[in-house]
Amino acid sequence: MRSSPPIDRLVASFKRLPGIGEKSATRLAFFVLGMPDATVQELANAISRLKHEIVLCEECFDLTHETPCEICRDEKRDSGKICVVEEPADLASIERSGSFDGRYFVLGGALSPIDGVGPDEIRVAQLEERVRRGDVHEVILATNPNAEGDATAHYISRCLRPCKVRLSRIAYGMPLGGDFEYADHVTVGRSLENRRELE
Amino acid sequence: MRGIETEALILRSVDFGESDRILHLLTPGSGRLTTIAKGARRSVRRFGGTLDLFNHLCVQVDFGRKTGMARLDQARLIGAFEPLRIDPGRFALGCYLLELFDRLAPEGGNRADMRRLFDFLLDALKAIAVWEPSLRLRTLLELRALDALGLRPELRNCVRCGESAGRTAEVDFHVADGGAVCGACAPRMEGLLRVHLGTLRALEQGLRLDFSRLDRLGIGGQSLDEAQQLISRFQRFHVGVELRSERFLDRILQQPRAPEL
Repeated sequence: MRSSPPIDRLVASFKRLPGIGEKSATRLAFFVLGMPDATVQELANAISRLKHEIVLCEECFDLTHETPCEICRDEKRDSGKICVVEEPADLASIERSGSFDGRYFVLGGALSPIDGVGPDEIRVAQLEERVRRGDVHEVILATNPNAEGDATAHYISRCLRPCKVRLSRIAYGMPLGGDFEYADHVTVGRSLENRRELE
Repeated sequence: MRGIETEALILRSVDFGESDRILHLLTPGSGRLTTIAKGARRSVRRFGGTLDLFNHLCVQVDFGRKTGMARLDQARLIGAFEPLRIDPGRFALGCYLLELFDRLAPEGGNRADMRRLFDFLLDALKAIAVWEPSLRLRTLLELRALDALGLRPELRNCVRCGESAGRTAEVDFHVADGGAVCGACAPRMEGLLRVHLGTLRALEQGLRLDFSRLDRLGIGGQSLDEAQQLISRFQRFHVGVELRSERFLDRILQQPRAPEL
């Protein structure tokens, strides 16, 4: 097959993106080739500026273009409540729910000893420092409900226990639209343990 | 197309691509088995929360393709070791054991040996869920795991001449040769680790002890430190590198325990 180094270079670059294989990368490369010059320039600039302009918020460690981020600067939000999440994408999910009016803290991962990730590789010390210095009265541990996320939540609770703040863990149970038939018995058990009274 | 239905323990779970997950399983028939669970991270219905570390499952694996990885078709949860998720000490100890098995468990082999290996890991995870995480439990489980993996250290007789090594209060141990060395052979060897005879006797007792009676193991203080050093060096010699989970385990076992969340 005929090949051209500039096209091959772009195809190789696209292939590094998640979910993009050889065929999709080639299709995208030819699509870019057909775009107007100005649009291509705009796309290239947007990609190149992304890495330079996005920084970590000094308060919550979310990705932001200015620090402190919008959420940390918002005085309408309850600064006494901190929701601890593993990654910025988790923060975005909780924000989309619209049901949390406090602030956040992004750990940057979860404890995973098998992968060499211990407390020093995530921001446990920074979280402790933030809770100690601020007017925090509640810490909601919203790490993922898997083995690593659970262990991380309990490890953090052990570290924050002396701070005398309210520590809570997100609820476990059946997902909305879920089916008991497909749920494992641990999830079903947890949903019964965490049941709520109907008003 | 060839498929099997088997029990399995999850040794390791690695996200792959956008929605798949690669799982290292320990099975009673095939030993360590690497499978890919397609769409595991996206589909709530297909696998639900079953593909989590430590989980004991019944799985259906498809070996249909001539090349590439076996595919995990279905998984049903048999048991989850809840205490290992909510206690950092138990979590650390469990991860350490899983990593040791992930590195040393063979892919296939004698069926009876594979079954024994699987049963050992299942019992060990149950023991971690029951017993308080401690240096003593770690040492004992590490010794028993090495034994189950076919790496039992020789604790009674000299690895060089076969004579009894326990004729004095202190005994030498040679990590590379895999056991105790008698007083006559020791002067001709280098890199020996000196331990008390009582330490070797306690480890021998540990090899025989049922998991339900782990509290009966009479070892502590200096003897426990010696035993831990010996087993740790023996393990590292066979694994070849320091296990990644070791640093967290060391750290967590030194911390005081806290009340539950």
